[in-house]
Amino acid sequence: MLHFDPYSPAVDADPFPYYKRLRDEAPCFRSEEAQMWVLSRYADIVSAGQDWRTYSSASGNMMTELPNRAGATLGTTDPPRHDRLRALVQYAFMKRNLESLAEPIRAIAKGAAEGLRGETMFDFKDYSAKFTVRVLMAALGLPSGNEAIVDEDTVREKAVLMVQSDPRTRSKGPEHLAAFEWMRDYAATVIAMRRADPRDDLISNFASAEIDGDRLDEREVLLTTTTLIVAGIESLGGFMMMFAYNLGTYPEARAAVVKNAGLLADAIEESLRFNTSAQRFRRRLMRDVELHGQTMKEGDFVCLAYGSGNRDERQYPDPDRYRISRKPRGHLGFGGGVHACLGTSIARLATRIAFEEFHKVVPEYSRVADQLAWMPSSTFRSPLVLELAVH
Amino acid sequence: MAKITYVDWGGRSTTVDVANGWSLMQAAVSNGIDGIVGECGGSCACATCHCYVDEARLRELPPPDDNELAMLDLAAAEVRPNSRLSCQIKASPAIDGLVVHLPETQG
Repeated sequence: MLHFDPYSPAVDADPFPYYKRLRDEAPCFRSEEAQMWVLSRYADIVSAGQDWRTYSSASGNMMTELPNRAGATLGTTDPPRHDRLRALVQYAFMKRNLESLAEPIRAIAKGAAEGLRGETMFDFKDYSAKFTVRVLMAALGLPSGNEAIVDEDTVREKAVLMVQSDPRTRSKGPEHLAAFEWMRDYAATVIAMRRADPRDDLISNFASAEIDGDRLDEREVLLTTTTLIVAGIESLGGFMMMFAYNLGTYPEARAAVVKNAGLLADAIEESLRFNTSAQRFRRRLMRDVELHGQTMKEGDFVCLAYGSGNRDERQYPDPDRYRISRKPRGHLGFGGGVHACLGTSIARLATRIAFEEFHKVVPEYSRVADQLAWMPSSTFRSPLVLELAVH
Repeated sequence: MAKITYVDWGGRSTTVDVANGWSLMQAAVSNGIDGIVGECGGSCACATCHCYVDEARLRELPPPDDNELAMLDLAAAEVRPNSRLSCQIKASPAIDGLVVHLPETQG
């Protein structure tokens, strides 16, 4: 009997054997534990991602949704509203508009990497956390330095807690909801500051934006800003942990990218395919759908298991091998379809610079522990701690 | 299903079987066609999936909406009367055999 419980610690630790059975034996699978269908093959996930009329995001996109969030963020709105909202913020994240951020990002990376000099063993999170919070503050124009209104460690801590879920109750626990409220209050304070004294930054522009002459709904402004902060910090940080995990696990890959930093871009793409931190998102059906002999009913929730689509042998030969020369075009490491990640370009840029600078200080390292503590989350996957030994 | 042929700036041609409902952008990206980027994932918000549609068949496609026309203004390469964003063109038997040319750059 096949089971798939996305809340299970065993799935947090290693979802890939479960995914393989789902793809081979039940590509349209009803998970009783999660109370939703699970699509696990690449082609099915890509098709669903594009068919927003059938696979709606308006009832939430996180596997375990936060209260009163659906319908007010990019990820939880369907076209045409989604596309109009997205066009308001996309410009700030376009590759061609990010060049001015490269040097500030490099300065942040250098500063954070210097903190590791002389260490013989350290938790990579010490580096990735410091780096991602500062990069996001610079990219979004959040108050920092003398103007800072919160502590950097606290923002990260809350962002990481918000995306977690309780494996026993299969829902958000009080600590996760409290973190969400804290982050929403923080976003509200920043929005008020930028409205009182607007600058040329994303939040100032978004807070005063209009669509067809109408101001955005206040809930849209607040929760989209909240989501940008969390997605930026948690998703970038989580992905960097996974990339370090791969380089700390596969010595040939690490040696290759340290010797030739030009290979980092390809190694990042392969990591996005191989074990991206954004493993699963959900949609809700707007009509009945027949797929692989199953009938999914209107109103049912459906999990798009991106992490499984990325290991689908029907799309990628020898998918369980981490091969940095693979160039896996069309991978689902940033999701897919109209809701594909907004921050793809800044994530690629920031990760590449972070590892260029990290490798200048720590070129030779390996993962210490065989068993890691994984974040309890039905949506994302990354280790809570990643100890690396310096050689 | 529709057979779609993509011709890149250098003249290299690739023909792909595109499933019904898939956008021409998605099919290009999934099949490793480099001249299409699709930075926004297909939400008509970035103009990096710009293409030139075979003029003889342009009128067979549903016309671009205002949002697509506004976004085309931001395309990095020359915009022509047959310019479209490939994320907004969905495959169906009606467009079987369509040829699209890719621009010099997506920016």
